[in-house]
Amino acid sequence: MKNLGENSKSVVIIGAGIAGIQAALDLGDMGIQVHLVEKQSCIGGRMAQLDKTFPTLDCSICILAPKLSECYRHDNITLHTLSEIQKIGGSVGNFSVDVLKHARYVKEGVCTNCGDCGAICPVRGITNFFDANLVTQAAAQIAFPAAVPAAYRIDPNKCLYLNYEICGLCYQNCGADAIDFTQKDSILSLDNIGAIIVATGLDLAEDIHTLNIYGYQKYDNVITAMELERLICASGPQAGHLSRLTDGKHPKKIAYLQCIDSRSQKGQMYCSSVCCMYTTKEAMIAFEHDNELESYVFYIDMRAGGKGFQKFLQRGAKEYNIKYLKSKISHIDVDKDDNPIITYEDYETSEIKQLTVDLVVLATCIIPSRGINKLADVLGIDLDHYDYVKTNPFLPVETSAEGIYTCGCAREPMDIPRSVAEASGAAARAAEVIKGG
Amino acid sequence: MSDKEEEPRIGVFVCSCGSNIGGLIDVKALAEYSKTLPNVVFTEDNLYTCSETGLAQIKNGIKDHNLNRVIVASCTPRTHEPLFRDCVKKEGVNEYLFNFVNIRDQNTWCHQKYPQEAFEKAKDLIRMGVAKAAKLEALDNIIVDATPTALVIGGGVSGMTAALSLANQGFETHLVERENELGGRLKTLHKLFPNDQKAQLLLDNLKKNVGSKENLKIHTSAQVKNIEGFVGNFEVSVEENGNNINLTIGVILVAVGTSLFTPTGYFGYDGKIRITQHELESKLNNNDVKAKDIVMIQCVGSRNDERVYCSSVCCMTALKNALVLKENNPKSNVSILFRDLYTPGTHYEDYYRRAREEGVVFIEYSPEKEPSVEENQIKVYNQYLGEELLIPYDLCVLSTPLVSNNDNKALAQMIKVPLEENGFFLEAHVKLRPMDFATAGVFICGSAKWPVDITESISQGYAAAARASTIISHDTIEVEGATSFLPDYNKSLCTGCEVCIKVCPYNAISKNEEDEIVITQVLCKGCGVCGATCTNHAIIIRHFTDQQILSEIYAYGGKEV
Amino acid sequence: MTFEPKILGFLCNWCSYAGADLAGVSRIQYPPNMRVIRVMCSGRVDPVFIFKALLTGIDGVFVLGCHPGDCHYLEGNYEAEKKFIMVQKFLKIVDFDKRIRLDWVSASEGARFAQVVTEFIESIREQGPSPLSGENIDQELFNNLKAMENSVSSDRIRALVGRQRRITEVENEYGEKVPIDEYNAIFDGAIHDEFVRQRILLSLSTKVLSVKDLAAELKLDPSEILENMLTLKSRGDIDYQSIDGNTPLYMRI
Repeated sequence: MKNLGENSKSVVIIGAGIAGIQAALDLGDMGIQVHLVEKQSCIGGRMAQLDKTFPTLDCSICILAPKLSECYRHDNITLHTLSEIQKIGGSVGNFSVDVLKHARYVKEGVCTNCGDCGAICPVRGITNFFDANLVTQAAAQIAFPAAVPAAYRIDPNKCLYLNYEICGLCYQNCGADAIDFTQKDSILSLDNIGAIIVATGLDLAEDIHTLNIYGYQKYDNVITAMELERLICASGPQAGHLSRLTDGKHPKKIAYLQCIDSRSQKGQMYCSSVCCMYTTKEAMIAFEHDNELESYVFYIDMRAGGKGFQKFLQRGAKEYNIKYLKSKISHIDVDKDDNPIITYEDYETSEIKQLTVDLVVLATCIIPSRGINKLADVLGIDLDHYDYVKTNPFLPVETSAEGIYTCGCAREPMDIPRSVAEASGAAARAAEVIKGG
Repeated sequence: MSDKEEEPRIGVFVCSCGSNIGGLIDVKALAEYSKTLPNVVFTEDNLYTCSETGLAQIKNGIKDHNLNRVIVASCTPRTHEPLFRDCVKKEGVNEYLFNFVNIRDQNTWCHQKYPQEAFEKAKDLIRMGVAKAAKLEALDNIIVDATPTALVIGGGVSGMTAALSLANQGFETHLVERENELGGRLKTLHKLFPNDQKAQLLLDNLKKNVGSKENLKIHTSAQVKNIEGFVGNFEVSVEENGNNINLTIGVILVAVGTSLFTPTGYFGYDGKIRITQHELESKLNNNDVKAKDIVMIQCVGSRNDERVYCSSVCCMTALKNALVLKENNPKSNVSILFRDLYTPGTHYEDYYRRAREEGVVFIEYSPEKEPSVEENQIKVYNQYLGEELLIPYDLCVLSTPLVSNNDNKALAQMIKVPLEENGFFLEAHVKLRPMDFATAGVFICGSAKWPVDITESISQGYAAAARASTIISHDTIEVEGATSFLPDYNKSLCTGCEVCIKVCPYNAISKNEEDEIVITQVLCKGCGVCGATCTNHAIIIRHFTDQQILSEIYAYGGKEV
Repeated sequence: MTFEPKILGFLCNWCSYAGADLAGVSRIQYPPNMRVIRVMCSGRVDPVFIFKALLTGIDGVFVLGCHPGDCHYLEGNYEAEKKFIMVQKFLKIVDFDKRIRLDWVSASEGARFAQVVTEFIESIREQGPSPLSGENIDQELFNNLKAMENSVSSDRIRALVGRQRRITEVENEYGEKVPIDEYNAIFDGAIHDEFVRQRILLSLSTKVLSVKDLAAELKLDPSEILENMLTLKSRGDIDYQSIDGNTPLYMRI
């Protein structure tokens, strides 16, 4: 591949979810050097956690994995995992960026992903965000088996050696000599940065305080959509065989509650954009595991404007036994067998009704990435009144600072195709800065 | 290409991967076994073949034993093949003469209680790998020249944005617009949601920027008449004001937008007091709205059996026009009859709330009980109240969907891309390749793909520009050598049945003027379907040839049949 | 000694091979009976490969691709399915179709990969060793499979299966299939005829025979043999060699 000259300007992309990855690949393929900065130990973001994607029911990791390895291998992309932006200086066309790189304590290129360190590590019970905290792992850990980079890391907050200088079993057990306790957090100073792209994505509002009217964490058979996503995922904690966390029973009736803290005075006023569709998807996948399953979707407005979305909903109703109920939820109790009872107002008849189900799934609100305020301060960009990165409707990938662009859920909740499109869009704007000089 | 006379000299490197392989099966014995296989001249076992030491051992093996084929038996090609290919390449062995044998991920890790069986499996796999390696051929990447120019078809907001971005990146760009001026749908809009900016302002800005770029050639009153060639090398003829222009183009962007739907027969549409949102915007532009009681009906001609889809922009359009009407005349009554209000995300939901606060009345209806539009009033059954409401009106505005252009089909055939069932263009992958077509070098943006608002039309315009730029940023296009191939010596086998043309998803196969099958290798992605389908075994799938695969089968089966 | 099935698997690079790797990374265990040939797409699997594998005495052949709609090459797995169904139809003639299987495994389905492979191995274990394995093979079965290999190698059958999707399917956005019943009737006939013809050719390649001889050897009705021989003669594949009394003898050209 022919590249721009060695001294040419490069681009820093913050966040290596699908948006950051797409922007990096586009710029890299244009011959522009990219620094892709990710705070987690692996790339892929939220999309890597998903089982399938709507409306095609593509297996998420199947279509994502080739992009992950392409990104990892790309001549023009330098990946910085466990890293965050600490300081920037300069202005459009010539930023300088300081990246704080946290130590992995495992040599990335040397680790063979064999898992011997994790097997021998005596520290257990650390929750794994990747599996929606449903399973635990050791202090020597990897988010998921097919993670990129395919390297373990040592959790510095939990590791006995790093905290008390005892143990070191992983070091002794690693045949590849990949464990390196001498690694230190370091600052990498990047100069000659032409443009910056903020692709920090989303978090989910799964806070007990705002969700407890739905019985979340009070009743074990009330779970969030992300938890369900992991439970029905073939590579998730239940290997895709969905069962209740209370008694291991296979649910026969699942209720999906929409707009949990979205479009709500108590939570966020906005719409999370993707829940109507992913709920239908999750109900479909669950049905594929059990053709007797009944699904009930409690919603306010069914928002399905994207390509093929209406047809997807029709298929859900016709072929997957999904019933859509326009309604307002009052509250949730459980019966003596821990089966959730939903009390709701049916908008079609304006009656108060009850429905007992085996499992309740909450479509929790998408919120800006935690840490976006700090990052916005560092970068000097404005956020909107919801703390998403502020953009102008007709300059959709521009932030308030010249030369800093944004895309995907960093600026508004949106689905994957739109995130990918915006990521390419942000890449185009960054390329204009670098190529147009 | 390889010297076919050269005898294969195969080196086999068996990785222990610490204890991951070596802990279960004897890698030394595997290396010894490999030595007994045909054409193998050197074998070695390594603690970690992927380590610097291991790579040095491969390099030394190649040097010392004059190896021309290298096999590594270790983890999986999916993660480590690039590393080893790179290694042998540096030592002068063509990268396609490297072969990977997976004895960890698909062997020792899966048969931990069966060391003997796993050992036998590894032997079989190595034997198969050696058999294939002996048949491997050196391949070069395929390189063709690319013209760094772009053609954008359609001069609406998406096309203008894309063209401008490409021009800003320094590419010679041609923007072809059918009408006599740029702007597309934007020309006829009044204001824009969600900030109520005048459409004209955005249009003027875009036109000014587009018009100020020297490397951006605008062709108005122009139409694309013919397209030949392939990525990097399209020959395009454009008719501009009756004159024919021929352009050599590297990439093509489709931004032809949508058409409007005329709701004849719906809700008494008459174009006068029962009009479309689009007609309302013209009236607003001309300051020609006197009505006081305005009722808008959503999903007119969409989300029905004929047009299943949601046109996605109509709810916001209705809200916007309702707010404009309220602002122009605060005493007017504006009601919106809707099914599901589509205002996703942050700002659109805010906008919806603002409309409620400004006194716009929202009444839900169900498709089973559609509103009926009478002379002076509209009857609508409200489920929630359980009764029929009567709303007087002097203007009824129907929110109709954006529909695909009738001539999309002709364009689609010209650029060899598919349309979906509603006549919109169908991208390569709905999820991860939203701006690409399966046909290399052709891209899509804006409402031609699916109805989108101005904001998304702009971001998609940029996006298509980025995707196009990944190709024309280089003077050449390079693809892997493992493609399908119709060698001269097989041309006599070809019966011209064209089945290969039909099964190729990338339009990489065609017939030339002499009626011969031609494979445009730069378009081939190497799936091999054409080879498996070819009715007379004329097509060769490089790196996965019939001979190579059969040699693996025979090596496992133990005989040739 | 207990019978350990010898299985060959064709795995597509992007989904099923990745799923097989994931089974390994996740240390999911399954019986060690299968050897894998990696292809970029399941659509690369030429029907000839399957027959060749069975002819060598391999007990079972497994083809694994991406789930419908997931194909890295858009629709190669559909092409794979069409070819596979054809191979199945042939093998059904000699009740050998249970020795091959087609399934879909995604890159996230490590456990499912192990499961389907285990099931297939067990199914083959129940069926016992292939009559084409070992020293004393079933020569008639061998000839039958050889004739089938020649059939799927012939342009007539390949053209029919190659055009199948265009003939029977309305392409839509999500690659949904429509029933192919009508097409199947024509296809079944063509498969049967081609098999008989290839079987005749195989017999005539080593010796000169009459219609009656062939009917006896192939255990088929003489009128069916005659009909197919006329076709072969018109194709220029066979001709009269001599006449034995009133009985014409045929040979392969």
